[in-house]
Amino acid sequence: MNERGEDWFTTIYHTHYGQIVNYGRRRRLDGDGAAELAQEVFIVAWRRRTDVPAHSLPWLYGVARRLLANSRRAAPLPVPVPDLGHLVDPPSVDAEADVGLVEVRAALAGLSEPDQEILRLVGWEELTVSEAAVVLGCTRATAAVRLHRARRRLVAALARTRS
Amino acid sequence: MLGTHQIRTLIGAADPIDPAAPPPRLSAVDLIARAEATEPAAPIRRAPRRLVLVAGAAAVVAAGAVTVLHPFTASTGHGPGVLGPPGGGLVLVPIAYQIDQDPPAAGEHLRAMAAHLADAPSDKHTGRYAYHHVKTWGDPLMSDDGGRYVLGFASEEERWQLADGSGRSRVTTLPPEFPDVQSRDHWLRQIPSWPSAVPHEQTLPPYESSPPLPTDRAGLAALLSVRYGGGAVAKQVTTVYQEYVVPTRTRALILDILADVPGFRWRGQVTDRAGRPGVAITYEDPAHGQQSLLVFDARTGVLLAHEIVTVKPRRVSTYLLLLATDRTDN
Repeated sequence: MNERGEDWFTTIYHTHYGQIVNYGRRRRLDGDGAAELAQEVFIVAWRRRTDVPAHSLPWLYGVARRLLANSRRAAPLPVPVPDLGHLVDPPSVDAEADVGLVEVRAALAGLSEPDQEILRLVGWEELTVSEAAVVLGCTRATAAVRLHRARRRLVAALARTRS
Repeated sequence: MLGTHQIRTLIGAADPIDPAAPPPRLSAVDLIARAEATEPAAPIRRAPRRLVLVAGAAAVVAAGAVTVLHPFTASTGHGPGVLGPPGGGLVLVPIAYQIDQDPPAAGEHLRAMAAHLADAPSDKHTGRYAYHHVKTWGDPLMSDDGGRYVLGFASEEERWQLADGSGRSRVTTLPPEFPDVQSRDHWLRQIPSWPSAVPHEQTLPPYESSPPLPTDRAGLAALLSVRYGGGAVAKQVTTVYQEYVVPTRTRALILDILADVPGFRWRGQVTDRAGRPGVAITYEDPAHGQQSLLVFDARTGVLLAHEIVTVKPRRVSTYLLLLATDRTDN
């Protein structure tokens, strides 16, 4: 059997389709948009099947992320700027405790898109740092740094919403 | 731990969706048929992220930040590039190759280098910390909403990490650099003054896992993604050099593995963007319209730089300089 043939594709399609749909839904696509995104991701996966690693989910998320970025390129995005993390207030040690969903969602929405993305990948897609690095196309070390900063800024944002 | 568990605890409940997803609308067979019946999609490039930069908003950020940031003190030279008018930005110029036309295959040259490598300074030092000093540009690239005028912020990172990944880092975001004169002139008209740089220091938590660098050829070839071809290998070699202090024997092995990857061409002597002499190999990726460039120190085999250049038009797309690697206790 061809290692990267129809059986292989059917397996990853049924295993990961729902996760890719949910990736799109979590990034503000409606049901139709998320389904279309997932189809496009798996079309890419088939065409590039020799490139897909054995642990395919982070790679598939990476394709979804790029397709989504392309589709949104014409629309204004949050402005990427030099890292201004040093301007953020120090986080409160108690900020993580006992916060409501509304506060968490508001704090998350107030972060930059790169910060939101790595937090979503870890918090909602439940990826490890190494897997998130694959999605983001960066090194594990860079992803670890980005996650660390994003978490600090989230905690700081939560502290501000509570004060 | 990196705090992934805490992050899931903190935001997991704020997940806005019911994770039960509807079943696929097409069967796998139908999707394969669609993939093969339609034109190939635009290539999913490794090319850098390009985000839309709204000039007005960027100006506000710049103006706000400039009041609190400290004067910029760059620690590295600019290397190949064209400086604009006073106060202007740097326009990046692709690195000139000694062998520009009809470059030979790189295999023999790489094997010859591998056979005679000298120790690097990091080979003679010991210390608990792996130290890396890296400068990057082009990830992300940003453009105006028409997509024509592009800029990217360079950044420098110094990292001191123990074997488990914990340690500290210092990141400095530098002023923007531009892939062409038109982009520079556009953005300087829009935003004449950019914020100065100030280092951002932070503590690094340990990795969830921290596998050692393979010492055998098969393990190293797998880590370098040899099966995925030259573009992937170039990127993985760069990743390895960013994350490990690579000893002489392993550097030789990396060169030897590269020698067997089809498609790498020998470009001879070059000067990298930090002004250091080196030797270069390139890998053409016509499907993505780009060329990957690796620059090595000819004596030690240490990787100095990795760049991606778009072919038409010929412009720098990303660059990464490995400015220093060492072991230290401080």
